Amino acid sequence: MPRRVRTLILVALAALLLAVWAFPVLWALLTSFKTERDVLAYPPTLIFEPTLRNYRDVLFGSASLLPNLASSIIVAGVSTLATLLLAIPAAYALARLEFPGRRVSGFYILATQMLPPVGLIIPYYLVLQKAGALDTYWGLIVIYLTFSLPFAIWLMVSYFEDVPREMEEAALLDRAGRVRALWYVILPQVRGGIAVTTIFVFLNAWNEFLFAVVLGGNRVRPVTVAMFNFISVEQTLWAKLAAGAMLAMAPVILLGLLAQRHIVKGLTVGAVKGARR
Amino acid sequence: MKERDSTTLRRPARRRVLQQGAALGAAALAAPYVLRSAHAQSNADIAPYTQAKVNWRQAEGAEIAVAVIPASYFDNLIALGSQFEALTGVRVRFEKVPPGQIRQKAMLDLSSRTATYATSATDPMYYPLYVSNKWIDPLDTYLRDSALTDAAWFNHDDIFKAWRDADSYEGKPYAVPYDGEVTVQVYRKDLYDAKGLKAADTLDDFLKNAAAINDPGNRVYGLALRGFAGAGQNMYIYPSLFKEFGGNWFSGKKVVVNSPEAVRALDWYVDAETKYAPPAVRNWNWPDIADAFSQGTLGCYIDAHSSASVLVNPEKSKVIGKIGFARWPKGPGGKRVTSIWNWGFPINAALSEKQKKATWLFITWAASAETQARTSWKFAGPAKRTGLNRVSLWKSPDFVAMTKDIGPNFVEAALTSLEQDTDVDWRPRVPQWPAIGDTMATAIQAALVGQKKSKEALDEAQARIDQILKG
Amino acid sequence: MVRDQHQPGSHNVFPAVINTRSSRKSVSDRAFALLLFLPALVTLIVTTSAPLVYLAWTSAMRIDLSMPWRSGFAGVDNYVKMGADPRFWNSLWLTLVYTASTVVLQVTLGLSLALLVLRIPRGQAALRIAAILPLVLAPVVVGLFWRTLVLSPDVGLVDVVTRALGLGSHNWLGDPQLALISVIAIHTWQWTPFAFLVILASLSSLPPDVFEAARIDRANAWQRFRHITLPLIRPALVIVVIMRTMIALSAFAAIFAATGGGPGTATEILNLYAYRTSFSELNLGYGASLAVVLLAITLAVSLVMFRVRRAR
Repeated sequence: MPRRVRTLILVALAALLLAVWAFPVLWALLTSFKTERDVLAYPPTLIFEPTLRNYRDVLFGSASLLPNLASSIIVAGVSTLATLLLAIPAAYALARLEFPGRRVSGFYILATQMLPPVGLIIPYYLVLQKAGALDTYWGLIVIYLTFSLPFAIWLMVSYFEDVPREMEEAALLDRAGRVRALWYVILPQVRGGIAVTTIFVFLNAWNEFLFAVVLGGNRVRPVTVAMFNFISVEQTLWAKLAAGAMLAMAPVILLGLLAQRHIVKGLTVGAVKGARR
Repeated sequence: MKERDSTTLRRPARRRVLQQGAALGAAALAAPYVLRSAHAQSNADIAPYTQAKVNWRQAEGAEIAVAVIPASYFDNLIALGSQFEALTGVRVRFEKVPPGQIRQKAMLDLSSRTATYATSATDPMYYPLYVSNKWIDPLDTYLRDSALTDAAWFNHDDIFKAWRDADSYEGKPYAVPYDGEVTVQVYRKDLYDAKGLKAADTLDDFLKNAAAINDPGNRVYGLALRGFAGAGQNMYIYPSLFKEFGGNWFSGKKVVVNSPEAVRALDWYVDAETKYAPPAVRNWNWPDIADAFSQGTLGCYIDAHSSASVLVNPEKSKVIGKIGFARWPKGPGGKRVTSIWNWGFPINAALSEKQKKATWLFITWAASAETQARTSWKFAGPAKRTGLNRVSLWKSPDFVAMTKDIGPNFVEAALTSLEQDTDVDWRPRVPQWPAIGDTMATAIQAALVGQKKSKEALDEAQARIDQILKG
Repeated sequence: MVRDQHQPGSHNVFPAVINTRSSRKSVSDRAFALLLFLPALVTLIVTTSAPLVYLAWTSAMRIDLSMPWRSGFAGVDNYVKMGADPRFWNSLWLTLVYTASTVVLQVTLGLSLALLVLRIPRGQAALRIAAILPLVLAPVVVGLFWRTLVLSPDVGLVDVVTRALGLGSHNWLGDPQLALISVIAIHTWQWTPFAFLVILASLSSLPPDVFEAARIDRANAWQRFRHITLPLIRPALVIVVIMRTMIALSAFAAIFAATGGGPGTATEILNLYAYRTSFSELNLGYGASLAVVLLAITLAVSLVMFRVRRAR
């Protein structure tokens, strides 16, 4: 097959891919600029008179999502930070150091990642209620740790494994102390891994719905829950819902785009073993 | 060859982003002030309430939390919340829970006796369940206590009997209805007139009307009924058909769902939807039906009267002024059966004495004629409630004036339905209702999508219900 | 610069430790290790042991909120009942189909697309950015969007396309067979980019000289792929399979928002069945036992996969 034709076909296929992945999001973006009437128009229109009203309502109206965005940022941000602070040292210990009960506790951490959320809702509700922590930030953050910690530890273990042993041994022999070795030599090596872990942990926490609905309330109300206010029993305000969804996605997409390079790099490091010689 | 990093923002672009971010941040700081002023519905005249010979301030200082769903009829009440606080000194916190989760969240609270919600907007089919578990207080003592209720002023009997019955169990009231609805026929008067049709009087007429209007080629369908699977969705329309065909949910103490009448009702349902409804109807809940009607693609539907608010919304609707209303068509037995749906407020049994009093004051305030009026025609916002709970209000000239532009016969159809067509046993009122409703919804949908024949679906549902009841 | 001393594929989950110290220092070694490790472990124990115990205990009880007079100890009754419950076996079967198809699809599609993209001269960055979009959407929003914007009969995107192609209009979420295919499509749509990105990264870091040698050797494209490329990216593939399997087993929000487990029970994977039993039918005891079974299955599958990863 002549090279040009083949390239053309490949490009066409790639464009199709782009469309399939980006289209629903782009369609929602379009919808967010339509009036409610245009949303129901048939056939669905690509050309319409755009309006900023939905965004105005969603940001500054009585059902403003701004407090909810703040909620999301606090919950996701703090739980990510806490996860990193706990998981990185733990992963290093698990990957490189020896201590009693290492295997067993390692398995335990793996196992807790498998707990089905369905089975956890009720016990968590009861525990938080007894502790007076329902509808509080720290209550929800502690619960989020339950699923982000094992995930983060597991991810970071594989990145720590990739650090070449001689580098570690050299740093440790240097009599500068273990902590300094860890901080100045080893951690920079797994920078990519930390970036990847941060992004995915943040993403998971940001997008969480079920626990946020049940364990949150009026004070702690992430944007994933608040968006459903546009789906009332009387009517669904599609355009506003789309605008709300765009707002909910914006911080995460921004984060993803900025770190997109790191995601790819980071995912590689953990995955490609033995490919380099 | 170093790949050009497509993610580095060039400097001018970055500056612009920062500026916009700052602007947004400033706006965000200003937002709370904007919100607060919008909420202060300043009609703080409490004279109509102080007429009641009740000490409104007897629970002063209490704090209660009320869970509701996102809906305009609750939004209006929330907007008036500050008036209640000014009247009683009780702080009310409203929480809006998505309708798919509110029952679960309320039950989680009630069953663990955590007293998180003093009251919540409750599905009337759940009272048997709540009462069996002793989660809510019977309200007869509250109604009779003259320190808590001025019977003449509150006029409990003014509230629609059908809804009061729906909110009672074993002879005692357990909640006070706040907002409700009836299911009625809603049809395109202009299309009917053009073809010389009248609103259907019997189920057969209903099908005939649909056949006459049905024109899929031009995207006009004859009818639509809820198809979405759910205890509150397709299992909201089917019971009316079931009762109109003469069905009975109980045979002695046993729940029976596969009687010959049940099969006939389901066959009618499936037949009607297959022949004259848009194919998507099997996934539709009533907002979708109302949307379709407002875009002119439906000839007729049967659903809640309050769907009219969508139909007369000038922003969305293309059929304003072309709508007619009528009662449910009669079944083969000559009966009309409409829904008795209402959102009521019960009292959480796990509360302290003072909180229970505060909650009762809230409930009577919300269900009082004055508050009902203030959330309806007296409301300063665009959405005015039509699901008021009192007969006297429905008959009042203000209400009639407010609704006269919705369509001919709107008030008569709804009011007559409420007074004559209701049946408190419209759905089986047993504690196991959540599971039964879910099972039936599944069966109905299986028949609607053609996966099973009506009899087969209902037989399966019966088997599963027997199992559920046996435990 | 030589960086990696590991043999290909020889990774333990818990590799051997550095042993360069004399035993005199090993106590402070252990202390240091524990200092790093314990905070995380303790947090997890605190937050997960209570629910685990509660779950196990509830599964051994009869707790049906709709029939409170029947509550009591049940022992293994719930589990026995499960064995005879056709809806349970249905959900197990659906879980198997759902998990297997989504993982296979994701890996195959991700791999093919990665291979494809490498051949394209330009536009790789655009594709990477487009690939991120599905990954950052909340699953509950994805389910909702697909139900309303994409899959609704008549006005949904898919229907518009199939009607334009002459394939007619279908009830993508209302028809039992189509519904299962639809939810598999939704899950695959959202998560294939993950496989795509990981494999792409892996492929782009492969040394070109090996391929040169193969080409000189007159190996054709398929042989090059099978004997060189595939083994080299095997670790990446294994990671993707493991992670995607675990996600698929616990998938909840997207299906719930799209179909709720319906129509009927056509998309009711075990996760959803447990949820519906606990929260719709209010049979908490039975629901807890279903959750325990799901946990056991997930554990078993993960252990098997880790063995596979470790072996070779």
